[in-house]
Amino acid sequence: MNARWRVLWFAVLLSAAGVAAAANAEKILRVTFQAAETGFDPVRVHDYYSGSVIEAIYDTLLSYDYLARPAKLVPNSAEAMPQVSADRRTYTFHLRKGIYFADDPAFKGRKRELTAQDYAYSIRRFFDPKYRSPYAFLFTGKIVGLDELGDKAKQTGRFDYDSPVAGLQTPDRYTLVIRLKEPDVNFNYVLSFPLTGAVAREVIDTYGEESPSHPVGSGAFYLKRYVRSSKIVLAKNPAYRGLVWDSEPGDNPRFKKIAERMKGKRLPLLDGVEISIMEETQSRWLAFQRGETDIEYQLWEVSPTFMTDDGRLRPEFARRGIQLDRTIDPEITYLAFNMQDQIGGVPNPVGGFGKERIALRRAIAMAYRLDDQIRIIRKAQAVRAQYPIPPGVAGHDPQFRSSIPYDPRAANALLERYGYKKGADGYRHQPDGQPLVIRYTSTPTERDRQFDELMKRSLDSIGVRMDIEKARFPEYLKLQKQCRVMMSIAAWIADYPDGDNFMQLLYGPNTGESNNSCYRSKEYDRRYEKSRTLPDGPERDRLYHEMTRLMEVDTVWLLGDSRIRNALQQPNVIGFTKHPVLHAEWLYLDLDPDLTAQ
Amino acid sequence: MLAYTLRRLWQFVPTLGGVVLLVFFLFNFVGGDPAYLLAGKISNPAQIENIRRQLGVDEPYPVQLWIFVKQILRGDFGASWSTNERVADIFATRLGPSLTVLVPLLLISTLLSMAAAMLVAYVRGSLTDRAVMIGCTVGQSISILVYILVFQYVFAYQLGWFPVQGWGVAFAENLLRYSALAIIVGIAVSLAPDIRLYRTFFLDEINQDYVRTARAKGLSEGRVMWVHVLRNAAIPIVTNILLQLPGLLAGAFLIERFFGIPGIGREVILAVERSDFPVIKAVTVYVAVATMVVNLAADLLYRAIDPRVQLK
Repeated sequence: MNARWRVLWFAVLLSAAGVAAAANAEKILRVTFQAAETGFDPVRVHDYYSGSVIEAIYDTLLSYDYLARPAKLVPNSAEAMPQVSADRRTYTFHLRKGIYFADDPAFKGRKRELTAQDYAYSIRRFFDPKYRSPYAFLFTGKIVGLDELGDKAKQTGRFDYDSPVAGLQTPDRYTLVIRLKEPDVNFNYVLSFPLTGAVAREVIDTYGEESPSHPVGSGAFYLKRYVRSSKIVLAKNPAYRGLVWDSEPGDNPRFKKIAERMKGKRLPLLDGVEISIMEETQSRWLAFQRGETDIEYQLWEVSPTFMTDDGRLRPEFARRGIQLDRTIDPEITYLAFNMQDQIGGVPNPVGGFGKERIALRRAIAMAYRLDDQIRIIRKAQAVRAQYPIPPGVAGHDPQFRSSIPYDPRAANALLERYGYKKGADGYRHQPDGQPLVIRYTSTPTERDRQFDELMKRSLDSIGVRMDIEKARFPEYLKLQKQCRVMMSIAAWIADYPDGDNFMQLLYGPNTGESNNSCYRSKEYDRRYEKSRTLPDGPERDRLYHEMTRLMEVDTVWLLGDSRIRNALQQPNVIGFTKHPVLHAEWLYLDLDPDLTAQ
Repeated sequence: MLAYTLRRLWQFVPTLGGVVLLVFFLFNFVGGDPAYLLAGKISNPAQIENIRRQLGVDEPYPVQLWIFVKQILRGDFGASWSTNERVADIFATRLGPSLTVLVPLLLISTLLSMAAAMLVAYVRGSLTDRAVMIGCTVGQSISILVYILVFQYVFAYQLGWFPVQGWGVAFAENLLRYSALAIIVGIAVSLAPDIRLYRTFFLDEINQDYVRTARAKGLSEGRVMWVHVLRNAAIPIVTNILLQLPGLLAGAFLIERFFGIPGIGREVILAVERSDFPVIKAVTVYVAVATMVVNLAADLLYRAIDPRVQLK
């Protein structure tokens, strides 16, 4: 090889090395979704995973401090927390100046600044009937004049975006004034919800029906590549205003370590996020072990493989530098009884407020093998819910203990006392001699089949006959909303981290919406209405305690569990912990380049 | 031939009508009301009614059925109820990934199973024949799920020869990197039943008089098998392959889900999970029409392969 060829060959090698180094230097976080997204237009989506991408792309007015627990609101695109009027009906937001949307052809080559008008427009969209927004409830009945505009659109078939709304004012380019019909102490939480992020009107006008696949926001990332139901690739938004990592670690030693490494860094540190849709647990688990993904927190079915019984990472994984983050999800499951006297004109054996009915509900609740639910179905990856408000949510009381114990012997005695006598077949009859059959409704999934078996065993232990009614999920929802489910196991995950989001589940007027037990108690409702006027604090806590005891006395629910989320991370992931409310934490993360290269 | 083809095409109408009625009945009386799913966590009756009105499921059943028929005639099933994506676009974008897996799968598995079937048919009754048949019986008894789990664990995880799952941009990358293991699984699953079936076809032919005559004329065994036997056994084999095609596209959902392939099968399952009727309607009609067309094509192909076949 002559000298000229040697130089050329060396140059080629150097260039190749340079390209490889550049590729390695890119900090791309690889994560998975266990269900396919439905799109990225904030008013159209109804699934958690789409919400995660939306959170990364759009800017909400408010957001959460990443490490503060319980979750704490902080300004995001707003300069500061809003000015709230004394009557708690008027919220005034001042936007930061100089926030720009990511570049898009819809802006015709101009830089497009985020303004208060964009928020007013984005909130209006929830009421446009053509979008049939699943999250319209966030604003329904709240903003002066907005429901009326939506109602008018339903009649005329056209939503007038230019019509003034008394409750949505933008006195200048950067000021948004929202006027509420009623005082609402939780309204700030609504404006931190990812789906309330600002969209630009010209983008929606440009893409129309295609808007779910053309998201354009002012957030930290933009959508770079999208293969529906398969791959979502986000890249750092060059127009992003930037954010300095500044969070409150509190006394948590792990959080302190995160803060030490991250404090003062300019975000986002990642160059992009690559999301793969992987429905199957085996695929996710093997992909993580092979290093094809960086964070995986949807592995509870195989959690015994990587965790010891006391919730620690198995040594073989710890040796590899894998990190484990455990958090309790802000959710509850509960065994719900239908409290109505009749279901579809037929007497409901578990409904009503008579002593016998309360005794029956109480007996069923006392016979239910909740420990088995946690041990077998949840594979020990859940904690018992003692209080309707789960940990991490304002209003949660860790000292509160449920007054409904597991005690099948006492449950049998209770049924005997109230006249539910056993027949020759070993099953009980109603006090009036009618057969007693409890109809338990569930969906035809593998997980629900496990619940069916557990429920059957529990009810058999007190001699109560049970029929299982199977309904596909949409039908199940319909039956619930129409108060036609006699008994079922339900779940609720926080929309916002305040106890109100959970206590409203038993508010009488919410029957047919979210009160699936169709519980109507004047005592409960009176306290709930009072609680809505109070901020988080001792007075509201006292009301919540009383409401919970009322629920227990009437035995409307047996509280079940809250699941533990075990998030595994590769050694190169820096700064991860699952936030109780934020959908995606990508903005706050970094990747160690040396460990990534390894 | 033209009269036969026209008559068969005319017969499509009542068959398709039956399929339409069945799908319509199943969706409306078994599938559940999609409005409750789309309405979100907290919704009131007025919101649900608004959604039902927009979806058209508040219309009387005959009207809904007529809309369905018009959609079939126009070939436009509207947009997905859950993602708002045009159904035609769903098919257009998911067809490529499905075919990337299915075409090589079908080609390789057909060639391999035909070769193996011809071999064991030729040595019928020998130890090789028996061993292959036992292997096929065992292979056929194992669920496709087991194949997927084991192959993914061994070849992707343990040996690291393939990625566990994924899908890229370039066709070559998708075919050679991401689809390879899925194709191998598909071949492994289909080999056993295909070898058994094709062996029967070959045995039927081997015992025919024309084979004896060919041997008596002194033709080589290779020529007898590869030219005469293969040509005649090809008719039922082609039929079998063609009949598999329509169902394969929609039915490969397990492979697509486990290996992260954004194909049609996976989309069908998503549509069922989401009660997405426009997509379900389109897929069902597509499978029905494709099956009928393929049946007709197979019959016409008989004639092309074997001129003795009379189409009546």
